[in-house]
Amino acid sequence: MLKLFSTFIECCKKVTTSESQGLCFKTSKRVKEGKHSHISSLLPMIVGGHGDVNPNSSWLNGKGFWLSYGLAVLLLHLMLLCLPFISTAVAWTLTNLIHNLFMLIFLHIVKGAPFEPLDQGKTRSLTHWEQIDYGKRFTVTRKFLTVVPVILFVLTSFYTKYDTSHFIVNIIALVAVLLPKLPHFHRVWLFDSNDHSY
Amino acid sequence: MAVQWDLYEMYLALLQAPLYHLIIEGLLMVWVAWLLLRKPKIRKPILTEKEQEELITDWQPEPLVPDTTEDHPALDPFVVEGKVGKYVCVNGRDCLNLATHNYLGLVEDKNMEDSAVECVKKYGVGSCGPRGFYGTVDVHLNLETRLAEFMELEEALIYSYGFSTIASAIPAYAKRGDVIFADEGSNFAVQKGLEASRSDVRFFKHNDMKDLERLLEAQSAKELKNGKNGKPVRKFLVVEGVYMNSGDICPLPEIVELKSKYKVRLFVDESISFGTLGRHGKGITEYYGIPADHIDLIMGSLEYAIPSVGGFCVGTSYVVDHQRLSGLGYCFSASLPPMLAAAAITAIDTMENDPDMFLDLNNVCRKLHIALSSLHQLRLGGHRDAPVKHLRLAKSTGCHNHDGQLLRQIANESMKRGLAVIVASYLDQSERFLPQPSLRLVANRLLTENDLDKAIKILEDSCTAVLS
Repeated sequence: MLKLFSTFIECCKKVTTSESQGLCFKTSKRVKEGKHSHISSLLPMIVGGHGDVNPNSSWLNGKGFWLSYGLAVLLLHLMLLCLPFISTAVAWTLTNLIHNLFMLIFLHIVKGAPFEPLDQGKTRSLTHWEQIDYGKRFTVTRKFLTVVPVILFVLTSFYTKYDTSHFIVNIIALVAVLLPKLPHFHRVWLFDSNDHSY
Repeated sequence: MAVQWDLYEMYLALLQAPLYHLIIEGLLMVWVAWLLLRKPKIRKPILTEKEQEELITDWQPEPLVPDTTEDHPALDPFVVEGKVGKYVCVNGRDCLNLATHNYLGLVEDKNMEDSAVECVKKYGVGSCGPRGFYGTVDVHLNLETRLAEFMELEEALIYSYGFSTIASAIPAYAKRGDVIFADEGSNFAVQKGLEASRSDVRFFKHNDMKDLERLLEAQSAKELKNGKNGKPVRKFLVVEGVYMNSGDICPLPEIVELKSKYKVRLFVDESISFGTLGRHGKGITEYYGIPADHIDLIMGSLEYAIPSVGGFCVGTSYVVDHQRLSGLGYCFSASLPPMLAAAAITAIDTMENDPDMFLDLNNVCRKLHIALSSLHQLRLGGHRDAPVKHLRLAKSTGCHNHDGQLLRQIANESMKRGLAVIVASYLDQSERFLPQPSLRLVANRLLTENDLDKAIKILEDSCTAVLS
């Protein structure tokens, strides 16, 4: 039965690849004819998704993700700066704290995926960080997500004038998001009482 | 109070920064530089020398074509001609058919044939695609509605093959990390479904409710350990209405009680019990007088009582609808040929118009049970109301293969004398719990007293011929 299913899936894959090949063929033909000078005009025609068993493993690699991420952090910071009675130093520390808190929750605490992946529950016990690039280490996305809190920490330290109380709060927040990113913590979840024997 | 800082002030602050801070930032920078220079690496399981050697020694090459023993059943096939109805022509000899699953005797039903032919004229033979991809025809929807109405449940869904119904429906819900409780005597389709789900499967002894309760209790104790913050574990219980491999009926009232006590989802494979048990053929729930909505999912086959092809699942829309995108056999398989669906609809019509057929079938089942229990050399297994009966050797030789061989000889002998019976065949290597070899007899509504007498006579004679 399993074999039957895998053949179904293989057949589907074949169909999709042959379709996309057909599309590529059409594209090159049209490009030659000069009707469409740019391939992007054809992009909406290409039907189908990412083809990933688990989209959580790849959507962070998407185009413009770094920019959107940066803009989101900037927006957060500007919003905090707008608040009355808050000094620049506090605004920066708050930015760092909120960013790291979100990162901790969504990358390292919440498990599984927000959609139903086609992996029969393989990723149900994995955090998003562990799902990225199917667990491959030192990929670009992983490097980016590791460097961002460090940069944020350095900036915060600078804008808080290296104040000791700010430093203590910020360094704890930094360690909280960097530790679970270390390879030694792959599939190790602190403060988790669940039985993961399966 | 917002304070205006300019860059110069900050530069001064940098100069006055404490030493520990500069050291930490310096270390962070070095670490980041080291990180950025790393090359992407795939996490691979590391095998020790010993494990590698074990794997190598474990590997046994198999020949492409294994040797076949001379008495292999495949070398002496039965050639069947014509329709397989109440009688079947095996190797040129007309036999009374107790071998195929035709409980209601609808195989030779004229109305069914006519409706199928009519449907072929309208739609042709194939459906041209999976259900979600141009393969749905009004006949499919009608059949689904009719099945749901017949079972008095919200929604039904049809598959194009009985086996894949069960093997797809289970993994559509149960996933890795879930726990499934299943009977040791489950049929092969259920076993494959359990395997495909990748769940943690716990088998309880066949029809042993104490054993099941023990397992459920152990699981809930384990969950308690996880505490309040522990994620709830999804639990499933898969049973068969009538067990294909033993002819037993499951004790549904106790199962339903356990289900509500331990909060498990109950799936019942009604391949055999649908259309055979109960006053109106509604299956195991009607047989025990339990409302069908106490069961989360009823899975059935259109290949036994309804002599078409395919399978179906019925239950609440909330549960059943999930399979329209998650049932692999539903999504990725061409839909049921419309003519087979049309034939199935006619079969449901017949079942609804003539509910006495279930009484007749029940009578035959009981009579057959009494008759078979009079055999001395064979031991009868199964419930008296079940249409499937298993006959095993009363004195087992102690060897599985030898028992099988003797039973096959008895079956061959019976076929020579005009009674078609068959030894239940299993994939010995793949079965989770290989059942004892047995002759599997199937009751048919059309069997008369004379037929039964004749069948018993032939079985007795063949047993004497083979065993003495």
